Amino acid sequence: MLWTDKYRPQNLSQVVGNKKEIKIITDWVNAWKNNDPQIPLLLVGPPGIGKTTLALIIAKEFSEYVELNASDKRSQDVIKSTIGESSSSRSLFGDEYKLIIMDEVDGIHGTNDRGGVRAIGEIIKTSKHPMILIANDFYSKRLQSIKPKCTVIKMKKSRWNSISALLRKIAKAEGVEVEPAALKEIATKSQGDVRSAINTLQALSDKDGVLTASDVENIVTKDSRSDIFNAITGVLKSKTPAHVKEAMWIEEDPTLVMEYIAENIPREYKKADEIKKAYDYISKADINFGRTNRSRHYGYWKYASDFMGIGVSISKHETYKKFTKIQTPTIFGLMGRNRGKRNLRDKITEKMFEKMHVSSGEAVSMFPYLEIMFQDDELAWEISEFLGFFDEQDEKDTEKLIKVFRKKKIPKKVITKMEKRKAQMHVEERDRRAEELKNQMMNIIPEAEETSSDNDLPFEIPGVEPAEEVIEEELLEEEPVEEEIKEEEKVEKKEKTTQTTLFSF
Amino acid sequence: MSGPWVEKYRPQKLEDIVGQRQIVARLEKYVGEGSMPNLMFTGPAGVGKTTTALALAKTILGEYWRNNFKELNASDARGIDTVRNEIKSFCRLKPVGAPFRIIFLDEVDNMTKDAQHALRREMEMYTKTASFILSCNYSSKIIDPIQSRCAIFRFAPIKGEEIKNRLKFICENEGFEADDKGLESIVYFAEGDMRKAVNVLQAASVEGEAITEDSVYEVVSKAKPQDIGKMINSALMGDFMGARNILRETMVLQGTSGEDMVTQIYQDVSKRVLDGKMEASIYMDLIEAIAECDYRIREGSNPRIQLEALLTQFL
Repeated sequence: MLWTDKYRPQNLSQVVGNKKEIKIITDWVNAWKNNDPQIPLLLVGPPGIGKTTLALIIAKEFSEYVELNASDKRSQDVIKSTIGESSSSRSLFGDEYKLIIMDEVDGIHGTNDRGGVRAIGEIIKTSKHPMILIANDFYSKRLQSIKPKCTVIKMKKSRWNSISALLRKIAKAEGVEVEPAALKEIATKSQGDVRSAINTLQALSDKDGVLTASDVENIVTKDSRSDIFNAITGVLKSKTPAHVKEAMWIEEDPTLVMEYIAENIPREYKKADEIKKAYDYISKADINFGRTNRSRHYGYWKYASDFMGIGVSISKHETYKKFTKIQTPTIFGLMGRNRGKRNLRDKITEKMFEKMHVSSGEAVSMFPYLEIMFQDDELAWEISEFLGFFDEQDEKDTEKLIKVFRKKKIPKKVITKMEKRKAQMHVEERDRRAEELKNQMMNIIPEAEETSSDNDLPFEIPGVEPAEEVIEEELLEEEPVEEEIKEEEKVEKKEKTTQTTLFSF
Repeated sequence: MSGPWVEKYRPQKLEDIVGQRQIVARLEKYVGEGSMPNLMFTGPAGVGKTTTALALAKTILGEYWRNNFKELNASDARGIDTVRNEIKSFCRLKPVGAPFRIIFLDEVDNMTKDAQHALRREMEMYTKTASFILSCNYSSKIIDPIQSRCAIFRFAPIKGEEIKNRLKFICENEGFEADDKGLESIVYFAEGDMRKAVNVLQAASVEGEAITEDSVYEVVSKAKPQDIGKMINSALMGDFMGARNILRETMVLQGTSGEDMVTQIYQDVSKRVLDGKMEASIYMDLIEAIAECDYRIREGSNPRIQLEALLTQFL
């Protein structure tokens, strides 16, 4: 069992630090208990200092609680359906309050959880129940509209000596021996994060030996991981390698970090040679990501990180003394806005793959030529027909597909004309095939009859084989007419009753 | 009533394949055998990899080729799981009326490495019932374990003369006049890519009765993304952000691939120096950067990033 769970405080008096804040919370709880509704609490602070723990302790004071956190998909609908219903109405049975806990509010994802922040705002407005919101970053954009509607409680990091004291208690309860210096080392390295301190203690403890300060020192404990914005600021504003390296030490997909740095290079750097040099480093970082992907050797990542971190940071002559707002890469917005267009494109490339055996890349490179071909009404219809654009369930979808290549619709007149022509061709083709087949059969029959009189085993007659081959070949050449050929076959069978045995196997 | 000519005039038999004589001669030896090694066709676009694979499958599998042949688009957005499931369910069944079954996987170089490793297992599991034909543009992007399980065939760009003859054949069949100059200019633009050549030809046929040098140029300039020139102008004038925005829009909206972008940029810059609108020394610097970018796109993980870096070289 994780010690962080085992020793999670069970009541407010066990919580480490933040005494003043806890007082406010206690008052808030008591007010609710005395039927005096309060505005929601917003607990803000760095990770691992007990925000969620606090909320869970408070939850015990109420009859029931509902919890949502960042791992849930928090679109407006989800929030409304899980909390919304219960938030604005109170139970029919008794007037007990339900506590609503929303964890990691600042982690609501911009596009996946569309409208999530607004939904929370609405729930705050209508809720008749106590509500606790939890977030890490006080300055998060997502908190802006929520903050004024809440009592904001800024939770502070715990001091190293209170963490150390807690660790000593745990060590004692677990029966492990730890040097006081080691406890101090763990406590200071945790930088106020109680959870990480307890985790480190558990990870390093050894039932049979004494944990010493040097044991702790040799192990990288909690790194102060900054968020992506700090990382970018560090890279763009600093020229000191140590600084940059520290800033780059973040838990994010490194290719995403690269996108962020690349996005902001021309926003911060103004001289052409700086941008050139910085982007060359970005390009080199990307090469190392490519090598990583190819070889699955993640050792290349460190070079990529240095190229896009230190490399970009030293590409400037001087640090700019101005405030640049770090921007999210525009490419994400661009891709989001054009999802519909891209879906349409994918649909066409898929059809082209089926009908023309071209990969998606090759298909897209054909688009410009198709555009030119589509200027011709009849050819536009032919190609649309060939690619199966008309197979769409909804006529509107067909139109959308055609619109990718030409602005105007294909005139009705042309469509009717082409459809007629196609039907006509179909009939002609069928007649031609029927005729052909008949001729072939006629040629074979006398021969077959001859041999059958010599030999009593009709299925061994060699002369029949060519006829069968012809049928099969034609079956394969053109699938759409397959059924018709089969029909023809049946007709032939009826006509040539003498041959039935040959076809029956 | 034919739809795209590239499909109408795709050679159906091995002996009809244009160019690639040696490869075809080698492949013909597999016909009539009870098994075939896994094959990998590598080479640029439009040189006949897919055509050869289809023709080979038809020849080997005979009349029941449709039942014993499966074509999969490996780069398909549906993901490796779908591909694997399809491979599995296809390979599990015994071949019907054919010596074995054939799976054709297109664009394997666009599969992630993890997917390639998964594929490698599949290739091992069904050696008795099925043969794989893989196709890719760059064999360097295929993990070694897969390469070592395949006989690798390198398809070269198709020779100009051979493309020209094929185009002539199509023109005769379709009843189009084509002058020599017109066909030669198509060959020049196609750079050994038969699909491109046939596409230009059909597009040019829409423009008028006869295929001439002019009608070909008309098509080629129309088919070129209009914004490339604008993008290069912005970059040359020092507006990097502007140029970068055009680049991103072109790639996202039109879906132009990184490799196509490099080619387009190269062609645009070349035209500038030929028209005397750019100094030769600047041109040479840019060519160096473009060549490096072309290489880096293949080495790197994100073509767009490499192209953005290329744009900075224009500043």
